Amino acid sequence: MAFQLLLNFFLAFIWMFLSNDYSSLAFFKGFFFGGLVIVALRRFFTHRIYFLNIIAVIKLLFIFLSELIKSNFAVLKVILSPKLTIQPGIFALETDLEKDWEITILSNLITLTPGTLVVEVSEDNKTLYIHAMDIGDVEQAKLDIKNTFEKAIKDVSR
Amino acid sequence: MKKTHVKTNDVIFQTVTKVVAFIIIIYSLHLFFSGHYTPGGGFIGGLMTASAFVLMLLAFDIKTVVNTLQVDYIKLTATGLLIAVLTGVGSFFFDVPFLTHTFDYVQLPLLGKTALATAVLFDLGVYLVVIGVTMTIIQTIGETE
Repeated sequence: MAFQLLLNFFLAFIWMFLSNDYSSLAFFKGFFFGGLVIVALRRFFTHRIYFLNIIAVIKLLFIFLSELIKSNFAVLKVILSPKLTIQPGIFALETDLEKDWEITILSNLITLTPGTLVVEVSEDNKTLYIHAMDIGDVEQAKLDIKNTFEKAIKDVSR
Repeated sequence: MKKTHVKTNDVIFQTVTKVVAFIIIIYSLHLFFSGHYTPGGGFIGGLMTASAFVLMLLAFDIKTVVNTLQVDYIKLTATGLLIAVLTGVGSFFFDVPFLTHTFDYVQLPLLGKTALATAVLFDLGVYLVVIGVTMTIIQTIGETE
């Protein structure tokens, strides 16, 4: 992915040198045509085209924003309800993400979801210990995290 | 006083530090260069650079950070003081009082018309001294048991 992005920049610079025009507009033109060339010759790369990675990152950003808004509304509901009916508790979540940055992003996303908060990462980076505001539906929470966040993060690093 | 060492996994803290340290340092450089016309300057820039190093010291242990940076902070302080004094001494060559600063507009090949002030060199000295002193204090306190 990084290699393709560098190649695209390189092609944009070659375009600027060939057209003898060093404006930002010429750079964008070259970047666009370089992108077309990279799409045309995608069989040469072992990795998929990097636009898809960028789209995956934008998707992750939108998931993050929507969860942020949802979590604030959920906490608002709990605060404004007249009776305190929550059952706090801590559960473990096995994760199959491996890299440091993936675990960091997953932890931050879980912390921003309604009613969950990462308190500890195990020594081998395999298990996250999560404090839940309402422990009643642990299995459901686990499934939610697995289906949304882990999938989105895996899609970025694929 | 003995500290009980509970081994925790700092993976989140360390990963965030690896990203944020770069942002803090680039922002401190921006503050350093913006000191002539806008708020900022050598002192606050040096403090912010030192704060990025302190963040690294918090996230990793002292040995790792010393091996990463490999800067002798006492020599850095001396270099900064030397630069600051030399910018003052330079004013003697033009028969003006000590520490008189001047500026001029220079045509540079890429940047075009640029104002180059000798006060920036003095500020560079201040910057280096602040980094050196802050890091010397913190590392000396940190290494004593």
